[in-house]
Amino acid sequence: MSYEVKLDAFSGPLDLLLHLIHRLEIDIYDIPMAEITQQYIDHIHAMQVLELNEASEYLVMAATLLAIKSRMLLPIHEGEMEDAELEVDGPDPREELVQRLIEYKKYKEAASNLQELETDRAQVFTRPPADLTGLASDEQMALFDLNVNIYDMLGAFQKLMRRKKLKKPLKTTITRQERSVKDQMRSVVDSLRITGGRASFFELFPYEDKPTLILTFVSLLELMKRQVVIVEQDGNFEELMVTLQKEVWEDDENIDVTE
Amino acid sequence: MTKTLMLQSRIEALLFVVGDDGLTIKQLSQLLGEQDEIIVQAMDALKNAYEKDIARGITVKEMAGVYQLITKSDLADIIQRLVENPTAQSLSQASLEVLAIVAYKQPITRVAIEDLRGVKCERPIQTLVSRGLIKEIGRSEGTGRAILYGTTKEFLHYFGLNSVEEMPPLPEEELAETEQETDLFMTKFQEAFNGAK
Repeated sequence: MSYEVKLDAFSGPLDLLLHLIHRLEIDIYDIPMAEITQQYIDHIHAMQVLELNEASEYLVMAATLLAIKSRMLLPIHEGEMEDAELEVDGPDPREELVQRLIEYKKYKEAASNLQELETDRAQVFTRPPADLTGLASDEQMALFDLNVNIYDMLGAFQKLMRRKKLKKPLKTTITRQERSVKDQMRSVVDSLRITGGRASFFELFPYEDKPTLILTFVSLLELMKRQVVIVEQDGNFEELMVTLQKEVWEDDENIDVTE
Repeated sequence: MTKTLMLQSRIEALLFVVGDDGLTIKQLSQLLGEQDEIIVQAMDALKNAYEKDIARGITVKEMAGVYQLITKSDLADIIQRLVENPTAQSLSQASLEVLAIVAYKQPITRVAIEDLRGVKCERPIQTLVSRGLIKEIGRSEGTGRAILYGTTKEFLHYFGLNSVEEMPPLPEEELAETEQETDLFMTKFQEAFNGAK
């Protein structure tokens, strides 16, 4: 899992365009292409969308804007004009974009309506059903509709998770497990002794959690520094072998590990 | 009269016990051995009594086809005092937009949603499916037999709606059109005005 920081200001290129149109107080049916294209491109430069997936979508829109802009610059031939006298303007290259923007705007507004409903709904509370298992015989339970599908299950799971969250204690104390490098050095030497004084690098890391892995690594470095173990590698990309050098672990040795 | 009052108390007790599972009119009429209409009447009376009485903290609401007891919305901040740090875990803007599109245009494919938003929607769709707000309701006839999405019962519960029809109507293009009309009018007016000068 990678950690992604996302700019949530705009939820897509259409959203950004709408924002620009609104800010520049432009008529949506008569968009000045040159200006909007410039503004749009400035904006994506400023946004620095790092996610390639999303950046590409913004870039597609930038390309579309440029295409429309250039089509509008093309001169209309006189001959063609005579052919289509009724349609002097010809189809506006912006038409499609305008339609898309209007359609998108509609759903953007609908989304904010939904958000209002969501907020309203969050104002009222219900409670989980009372536990009737003590009362209920199987026939009675059958009274309830048991025709469920996977989505009912998902819904039920959602409910369960919500209830779990409610039942969670308000305060918990997290105990911190303290383990010193000294302890870990000893356990590394012990495990080396068990494997006959020699083990592969990876065998020394049977742990799952990151802190212990790091601790083991640091203690291994410390052991190398003290020449208790040596680490060898036969060739490039071969496995690292850890060999125990000193059989006797000097317990009285004062270990001060500086960070 | 006493009969409806008794019926109301029975309905109230049943609704209290089933909690957020709620009960339909059908289930209630079966349980109480009464006609549907009688139950509906009693339910309305019960709801009225709750709403009128400011000494009551709960009321009845029909959501996703079932009646359930809920706390009154103006008491929300009192209830929130029970929690130390209330955090409203609401849906993201992207998810809300996708959800709005699905709700108004269902059944709809992912590609159609993406066309509308001009942006990839895999993640919001995934979030919405895993939260049980939308679901696969079929496959499109075209090439690839793409998944068609629609809203779920949980969706209705989540937004406190009784049915999809109860959603606020989709903001129509009217607004934009009238804008254009006034614009046309204004240009005509300007022309006439200039001409007159």
